[in-house]
Amino acid sequence: MSSVAHPIHLPAGLADDLDLIAEMTADFARSRDIEETLRVGLEHIARRMEAEAASLFLVDPGSGELVCHACFGPTDVTGLRLPPGKGIVWRAVDSNTPQLVENTETDPDFAAQVDKNTGFRTRSILCAPLAVRDEKLGAIELFNKRVHDSFDKDDRRILLALAASAALAVINARQAAAMAEQEAFRRELALAADIQRAMLPPARDPDFPIHGVNLPARGVSGDFFDVIELDGDRVAFAIADVSGKGMNASLLMAKTASLFRCLAKRLDGPGALLVAIDSELAETGSAGMFVTMAAGVLERASGRVTIAIAGHEPPLLVTPSGIRRIEGLLPPLGILPELFCDGCPETVLDLEGGALYLFTDGLTEAHEESRMLGSEGVETLVLRHRDLPAAERLEAVIADVARDGLMLEDDLTMLVVEDRR
Amino acid sequence: MNVDTREMNGWVVVTLAGEVDLQHSPTVRKHLMELMFERRDVAVDLSGVVYIDSSGIASLVEAYQMARKGGNKLVLAPISQSAMRVLQLARLDKVFAIADSLDAAMAG
Repeated sequence: MSSVAHPIHLPAGLADDLDLIAEMTADFARSRDIEETLRVGLEHIARRMEAEAASLFLVDPGSGELVCHACFGPTDVTGLRLPPGKGIVWRAVDSNTPQLVENTETDPDFAAQVDKNTGFRTRSILCAPLAVRDEKLGAIELFNKRVHDSFDKDDRRILLALAASAALAVINARQAAAMAEQEAFRRELALAADIQRAMLPPARDPDFPIHGVNLPARGVSGDFFDVIELDGDRVAFAIADVSGKGMNASLLMAKTASLFRCLAKRLDGPGALLVAIDSELAETGSAGMFVTMAAGVLERASGRVTIAIAGHEPPLLVTPSGIRRIEGLLPPLGILPELFCDGCPETVLDLEGGALYLFTDGLTEAHEESRMLGSEGVETLVLRHRDLPAAERLEAVIADVARDGLMLEDDLTMLVVEDRR
Repeated sequence: MNVDTREMNGWVVVTLAGEVDLQHSPTVRKHLMELMFERRDVAVDLSGVVYIDSSGIASLVEAYQMARKGGNKLVLAPISQSAMRVLQLARLDKVFAIADSLDAAMAG
């Protein structure tokens, strides 16, 4: 009989070990419940390696402690937390090397207190870190080799291979969970954006005197505009910009838009309207957020606009008499109720066959040829497209500053109020 | 953006420099809120601010709201031209206490 084994006939122990590693890797790869898989995997490892008990610890990102997630054997210490730096498990994690303790009585890092609490007597320990690249994830710890006095170097090699596979499984599960969370967030954001778009007024006939456009920078918008027809052939309009961006800004925008829609028909004039909205916002304000807003009413028969402005970008009045900025006197809404206790002044403008342009700072702070547009830049763009019908004119102005492929830094909103007598 | 905090004559001077935008506003807010919770008199030096957006202004507004409730002082001094333009445009120059210099802020 030949003394050299054929390469495909592995020693029985090694073949078993390879089978276990292959089986565990496949289990981890198809796992949907990583906690359950780690529990089952730990039991497989403990039985194969003839350990009396085993524990699996993962680093809790919040506290930085090691937390026991799975146990095998006579005692269950699931949930046990080990503060950084304490015991043999932390030694394995910190040094990122397996720890073989053949006799716990001679190891100063051995935490005898856990044995006292559980009644289990630990003689020997084999502990392998779970790590992927430089990320420390946790450790697998085996206690007391059955029959033998201690684990040995072969056990250490096998546990290291199994730990590497478990570490990858933990990373995969976390990445899958993060992707699922991102996907859910994207869906919710898209839904929020749909609801917000539905809050904007529908496009009007070209003959209608007021048109608007809103281009959100991030799906949801902190800007809004609205147009509501009142009795007496009057039309109320508003444009607003909430401080900040993202979901919190869009929620405050939704509240402001609802208040405008609810109050515009009931209150007498845009000044009273802004005072009422300020009072509501200041009462429930949060984290310094505020709203800049301009609201007005157009009398279609006279071509006159009554407007009130709270901290908003000065609208641009373009008439045959010239171009001028309409400055407001009061700060934004939602800061302090007493700022509006004396009311909000209104300005009456005669459109003289011209138009009033209202916009948010997403337009004035947009860049054209690397320079911030500013109020003068908006004026140039409006005049550049003055021969286009109103709705198309707004689209053309927006298209000049939001060219294809360019990431918008802020929401862009613009409104035009025309004298169409 | 840089945030520097130092003690001066019993006041805390918070110096902001660079671009105070959505990315950096949470840091500004955290600094100011801690001081407002401690009810410290604070001067915010905005002389080195080249750009401030509405989220940065919101951090100052929140500190202002807290200072009013707490009874401590919050003064903006001195202010760069670009930051001042933003405050003036929003008419917030009428809301905040503003001084030309740190000395004037602390004397006021």
